[in-house]
Amino acid sequence: MTTTVRLDVNGEVREVRADGATPLLDVLRDQLGLVGAKRGCSYGVCGTCTVLIDGMAARACLAVAADCEGRAIETVEALAPGPDRLHPIQAALARAGAVQCGFCIPGVVMAARALLAVNPAPDEDAVREALSGQMCRCSGYGALVEAIVGMGRPQDG
Amino acid sequence: MDIETVGHAGAERFAMGQSVPRTEDPVLLRGEGRYTDDLDLPGAAHAVFVRSRVAHGILRGIDTDAARSMPGVLAVLTAADLAADGVGLLPKTVSLANPDGSPARNPDRAALATGRVRWVGDPVAVVIAGTAAEARDAAEAVTIDVETLPAVVDPEAALAPDAPQLYDAVPGNVVVEYRYGDAAGVEAAFASAHHVTRLRFVNNRVVVAAMEPRAAIASYNADDGRFTLRMGSQGVFGMRNSVAKVMGIPPETLRLLTGNVGGSFGMKSTVYPEYPCLLVAARRLGRPVRWTDERTESFLSDSHGRDAVMTAELALDPEGRFLALRVTGVGNCGAHTAQGVAIPHTSNVVKNTVGVYRTPVMAVHTRVVVTNTVPVGAYRGAGRPEGNYYMERLVQTAAAEMGIDPVALRRLNQVRPEEMPWTAASGQVYDSGDFPAVLSEALERSDWDGFAARKAASAARGLLRGCGLAQYLEATAPPSPEMGGVRFEADGTVTVVTGTLDYGQGHAAAFGQVLSTRLGVPFERIRLVQGDSDRLVVGGGTGGSRSAMASGNAIAEAAAKVIEKGIRIAAFALEAAEVDVEFDRGAFRVAGTDRAIGIMELAGRLRDGLDLPDDLPATLDVDHVFSGAPSTFPNGCHVCEVEVDPDTGAVRVDRYTVVDDFGVLINPMLVEGQAHGGIVQGIGQALMEHTVYDAEGQLLAGSFMDYALPRAADAPSIAFASHPSPARSNPLGVKGCGEAGCSGALPAVMNAVVDALAERGVRHVDMPATPLRIWRTLAGG
Repeated sequence: MTTTVRLDVNGEVREVRADGATPLLDVLRDQLGLVGAKRGCSYGVCGTCTVLIDGMAARACLAVAADCEGRAIETVEALAPGPDRLHPIQAALARAGAVQCGFCIPGVVMAARALLAVNPAPDEDAVREALSGQMCRCSGYGALVEAIVGMGRPQDG
Repeated sequence: MDIETVGHAGAERFAMGQSVPRTEDPVLLRGEGRYTDDLDLPGAAHAVFVRSRVAHGILRGIDTDAARSMPGVLAVLTAADLAADGVGLLPKTVSLANPDGSPARNPDRAALATGRVRWVGDPVAVVIAGTAAEARDAAEAVTIDVETLPAVVDPEAALAPDAPQLYDAVPGNVVVEYRYGDAAGVEAAFASAHHVTRLRFVNNRVVVAAMEPRAAIASYNADDGRFTLRMGSQGVFGMRNSVAKVMGIPPETLRLLTGNVGGSFGMKSTVYPEYPCLLVAARRLGRPVRWTDERTESFLSDSHGRDAVMTAELALDPEGRFLALRVTGVGNCGAHTAQGVAIPHTSNVVKNTVGVYRTPVMAVHTRVVVTNTVPVGAYRGAGRPEGNYYMERLVQTAAAEMGIDPVALRRLNQVRPEEMPWTAASGQVYDSGDFPAVLSEALERSDWDGFAARKAASAARGLLRGCGLAQYLEATAPPSPEMGGVRFEADGTVTVVTGTLDYGQGHAAAFGQVLSTRLGVPFERIRLVQGDSDRLVVGGGTGGSRSAMASGNAIAEAAAKVIEKGIRIAAFALEAAEVDVEFDRGAFRVAGTDRAIGIMELAGRLRDGLDLPDDLPATLDVDHVFSGAPSTFPNGCHVCEVEVDPDTGAVRVDRYTVVDDFGVLINPMLVEGQAHGGIVQGIGQALMEHTVYDAEGQLLAGSFMDYALPRAADAPSIAFASHPSPARSNPLGVKGCGEAGCSGALPAVMNAVVDALAERGVRHVDMPATPLRIWRTLAGG
């Protein structure tokens, strides 16, 4: 049965329509116009729909929208501090040349954010582990990993 | 924009040769990229395709009545509806001839199945409804009556006399028999050879798995009779023409728009059956119709890659000199030739196997067959990786069999730089390259000499370490005619218009660097237009690693034409004779004076209505068409070290070094990214990706849970270096880099795996070298 669900998305309360099975991803993309999270497989394997729910990386395609009431949902659209600005994770990925087709990138950005929140200076193995749920067919992962590891290193000057 | 760059200041930062950050990135990183499914077209209906669940059968009937009465359903279309609306056959891609001169047998293929279904996934009908959920529900209510026939999935099995036959018009399932070279001369060389190394290779089928599923949105404007098709492609101009031909409409009545594309690797380059179906539906319904593949459907509807069984043979003299090369076998093109292509199994085997070696003669004899499987199309390299795989495995095996050091054997046979231009046994003319130096640098950077110590250390931990070397060379697609348009816009920006298309390569920065370097216009003012067929006068599209050669050179030549026009206009503006006006770093100057006008200032004066005589050009704008250039020959050396756990069969790539000759690098950061991506796709095919069909033609590896795509923990850190010999065959000196990673990785990884297992008596292992396959090999079973 479809009901109105109140979601906290990127710090704003949004009312959406959902039944007991409507995935969070469908609500974000089709009702709220937040298309940064991508529909890559819809069965929880590829990671292109990764968002944060209460700070934890989660698959929006498997999360049930109605279960997300009262929880803080953060999508890639919330990260950049302004229209012509980038979040440090985003800037690091650009500097490293880590982006190619870009379809996996919003998910990678959110997974990196979840990792860095609990481990501000991850080593390479920790980054590869944290990205293990984020499929990328273009980059070979090297530049993605390098960029995120680099964020934890002390910056010169 | 928070992306500071290091190195040169000012305009030099954006010159050719600098690692300029990608223009596309800020948008993509903020989640503002607009891939086809991200577009919101108000009022759009949703399409879902009904696909065959059996691999081969006679189509007795399609019952759509129940589906038509389901909630929200607007239409259900079958092949009869398409024919009634004038839709023709899908393109026939195989243009080769048989040895007797007869043309290839491309079967007739309509967008929706007629007469028979021929693979699991073959589209039979399409349901259009108000919502995607309604369309999905109704699609399940369509009943297909199929009389099942025996199926054939393996390309060698398809050649058997009693094999199931897919088409009456394709006897023996053979689309084309292909021969190249002097077969008798090669036979004679083999007969008198001191040693022959022979290997049979299974070039495993792979699922392309671009991260963005295919999607398309069709709309139709009854007022002007024009269609619009929004979709992922590899170039809008060619796609527009091909789709229009299938639709039976003039090309100019179709506008093809491509926004962001989430990967393609060759897969999104062909006219798939969904596109004409969506256009027909949009015209019938008078509203936009959209479709996005489900991932499970993608496994069954996107073209796959590779899939051939080839025997390769190398004849050598007593010292190890190569005398002749022969490749024979069969390639699978899947169920038809609209998505299924022959190039990877035919001409690209010729062009990409003999590699960097002096080999007097070669012969290729292959057959391309149809089977009851997903069509096999171009996939990153399309014959280039597999050709290099065959050759470099042969070289490695020959060295072992003859007791010659594999590096020495390569050095003995390499074409030397002073021998350029070199006409190879493939007929290809190599313009440039320093193969001995590339090899030396790779050995040094990979610490080749330290391998023995690392092997001993692995052995102490119970692991088998192997080292694989592969020196590849590939022939890129010759760049076809390509547009280089330059427009000085009213808002002070400069638009570059070209028909290659970015689906991850980073064209905007690279092409901007070319224009900025040649014209001196500010990099940040340059905009790239690539995805609108209405803006193009010609467009060859992306494919075969040719974009830098095609669009890069088109833009460079267009810049020269802008300067020619500019000199005439500037002479008038500066009140000087044309012969006295020079162009240098973005400004037109009167020689020997301080009178000058910048190119952007001149463009501004023209916009403001500079009153020109009639015989002068009114703008600086140029619509140039680059006429094309020969293939380039990117080459390089990959060194891979693996560790194999003999107890589990697991392989870990521990070290990876690559030294590439891609000619002049426009943007080294982008090039390195292409190399990384290609290498990891190669590792995937070599070690992980196993596309398993059962005997009935069911795809068992039909999801990301069954099909192993490389993940972050599977990929090694890759040490990349450039050792360029500029191409002499195109004005910029560039060579293609997009597919080369795969070409080196397949042989380097597999040479390393076999090297690790050699001490256990293993001579060859087929791809994918999964833990199970390695474990069984070591167990002798």
